[in-house]
This record gives sequence, C-alpha cells and structure tokens, in this order.
Amino acid sequence: MLEKELLTTIVELCNVQEDIPDDFPMDAPLVGPDSLLGLDSLDAVEIVVMVQDVYGLRIDTQDQAREILSTIKTLAGYIRERGNL
Amino acid sequence: MIIDFKHTQSAHCECGVTANLINHAVKESDPQLSEALAFGIGQGIFFGYLPFIKVNELPLTTFRCPVGKIFKSVTRSLGIDVKWQKFSSVPKAMDALDMELDKGHPVGCRTGGYWLPYFPPALRFHFNMHNIVVIGKQGDNYIISDPVFPSVVECPAKDLALARFAKGALAPKGSMYRITRVPGKIDLKPAILSGIKGAAKSMVKTPVPFLGTRGIRFLGKCVEKWPEKFGQEKTILLLGQLIRMQEEIGTGGGGFRFMYSAFLQQAAGILDDPRLTPMAEQMTASGDLWRRFAVKAARHCKGRATQDDSVHAMRQVLNACADIETRTFKELLSIAG
Repeated sequence: MLEKELLTTIVELCNVQEDIPDDFPMDAPLVGPDSLLGLDSLDAVEIVVMVQDVYGLRIDTQDQAREILSTIKTLAGYIRERGNL
Repeated sequence: MIIDFKHTQSAHCECGVTANLINHAVKESDPQLSEALAFGIGQGIFFGYLPFIKVNELPLTTFRCPVGKIFKSVTRSLGIDVKWQKFSSVPKAMDALDMELDKGHPVGCRTGGYWLPYFPPALRFHFNMHNIVVIGKQGDNYIISDPVFPSVVECPAKDLALARFAKGALAPKGSMYRITRVPGKIDLKPAILSGIKGAAKSMVKTPVPFLGTRGIRFLGKCVEKWPEKFGQEKTILLLGQLIRMQEEIGTGGGGFRFMYSAFLQQAAGILDDPRLTPMAEQMTASGDLWRRFAVKAARHCKGRATQDDSVHAMRQVLNACADIETRTFKELLSIAG
C-alpha cells in the first residue's frame, strides 16, 4: 500500500523518533504544529525532494506543497494521480 | 458595497496583487497578466547575501528584488499610472481607503500579515510586506482579495487598521495604492524584454560581490567557513535563517527560480522566441539545486547531516547554482539586450 510505503520512507528520512502504531491515521496532519510525526517545514523540504527523486514528481510552489503534504493520504493521492501508479 | 473584482490566487502576494489589479483595470481585449508574467516583467528575480544587515540578529539573504519593485516596474513598463499614498494617522488612512472604495476603486494596501485574523495561527508571523487588495466594505468588515488565499476574505476594520499600521522594520505606515490610468493598448512584448534585461543586469552586472550570481558564490564561501568561525550552534541558526528565507517567505529561493522559469516559458510564447525555452529549463534546474541545498541545510538543523551534507558540499551546490544562473542570465542579456 502506497500510504504505508510513504509513512515508512518519511519516518526514516526525517529521523522520526516516536513509535509509529500499526493503525497510524493516514489522514492526520503530516506537517506543522498538529503533526503526529512532529514534522515541520524543514522536513517538508526533505519530503518534496524525496517525492521528486523517488516518484519523479515535482512540487513547485509552497501552496502546492501545503495542499499535497496535508496528510499521508493526500500525498499518496497526488502520487497515484500524477505518477500513474 | 463590494467591487466586482476577479480574485485569482497566487503563490506570492506582490505578484498576485500586481496581476489582479492590472487585469481589473485593463480592457477585456487586452492581454491578461499572469503571476509569472508580473514577476518577470517586474524584475522580481534576484539574489543578495548581506551579512551586514541583520534580521532577528542574523544576516539577511534575499532571493527577490526589494518589496514594491515588482508593482512599480510592471506598471511603469506598461505605461500604467498609479497613485501612492502613505499616512501618519490611522483615521486618515482608513477614511482615504473608504473614499476610494466608495468611488468603486479597488485599493492595494501593504500590511503586516501578523495582524490579519484570517491567517491561520501557524502562518502568522511579523512580516510587514504583505500586499492585499481591498475591494469593499460590509458593515464594519472589509472585503479583501488576498492573493495567497483561495477566495475573497473578510477582515474587521480594527484589524485591518492594525495591519496597515504594523510597527517594526519596513512599517507600512498605511501605505496604499491604486491604478489611475491605463494606456489605450497594453503591449507585453517590450515590457517583457525590458524586464528580462533589468533582471539579467542585476544578476550578472553587479559592482559588488554580495549581489547577483557573485553573491551566491560569496554565500557559499561564507557557509563553508561558518562552523570554524562561529561554532556548530550558531552555524545551525545561520543555516536555519537562510532556508527560512529560501523556502518560507513568499515562494522563496527554489520557488522564485521556478516562478522565473514559468515566466520565461510564457515569454517564449508571447515573443515567439524559442531561445527562451532552454533558459526556462536552466532556471528550473537551478531551483532544483537550491532545494537540494535547503535539504542539506535542514539536515544540519535537524541533527541528521551526513558526510554528503558537509559545508563543503553545500558550497559546491551553491557554486553549481551560480554557474547555471550566470550562464542563463548572460544568455538572457544577449537576447534582450
């Protein structure tokens, strides 16, 4: 499942220290003060570059990034839609 | 009353306000201005690393031209007249705004974004350079076309007054502006060429080493020396400030390079000049490199930097950005010159 794959990648990439439960809510805020993973805008830059490297998809503007990186679910949706997965 | 004003969302407030105000003022038969065209014609692209100017006690790095230059350059090069006003008193500033709205004029205002209550709390910070267009008033609420929001918003009069008279660096002092006259015909072609020429000059013909593409190399040289000169703790602060300017203010570093790329793509079509297409691709490549730099810097801030993220590696990325941008802007200068 793409959502799980993204979660694992992001946890590793952003060096998240918290234990991630199996039923982690994929629609929880990904970045910002309410992020369950404790991710901030610096982590968001890392994720944007990862999406470009791994999935070949560019996220150019900050507004785009804000929308796409709202949750793991929105990110997966963007990759499925644009990456023809 | 609410003025019939087409609100278009944009990534960067000044470009969005410029495009929206001009598109409202020109005739329907005139070409419409996109955010990217406003940025390019307005000579928005720039770089400056100014260690002698401090923001929050850390050096200023800028990835765009000074605030206000985009609107001024675009209106000037399209032959559009603008009335500018600043005020010493809040009541006078609000009365002047109401009078313009009563006449049916949309009004651009520079504000301190922190005081605008429609901003989500997480995005509210003290930044006195946020541009909006006031398009009406209903009761005690102003109706605002804030280009970074998807639709028109409302703002209580007392909050707008606070935002227009925010204190601190670059205080707006009630600054407001409106278009008073547009020429019979809008011709984008000469404006695009003059925008390219002006931006290219400021990037590759600067007399000082801390501006333009020389400034990018200068920054790289400084970054490499930071740990030795300031120690690890301050280096992290310096890197954090740098990438905040790059990624969080407006569309920031990488983002502005992408916006300039979009401008060059559109300019290639309008001018029917295919030579601009590879220039657009080069600017995208530079934007990508700026982002790689931001990732390396972010890893330092987060304590997860590896050997690949060393300050030496960061300097190399910046030098690669400078190489691409020097080549691109020299070629652009020869095209537009």
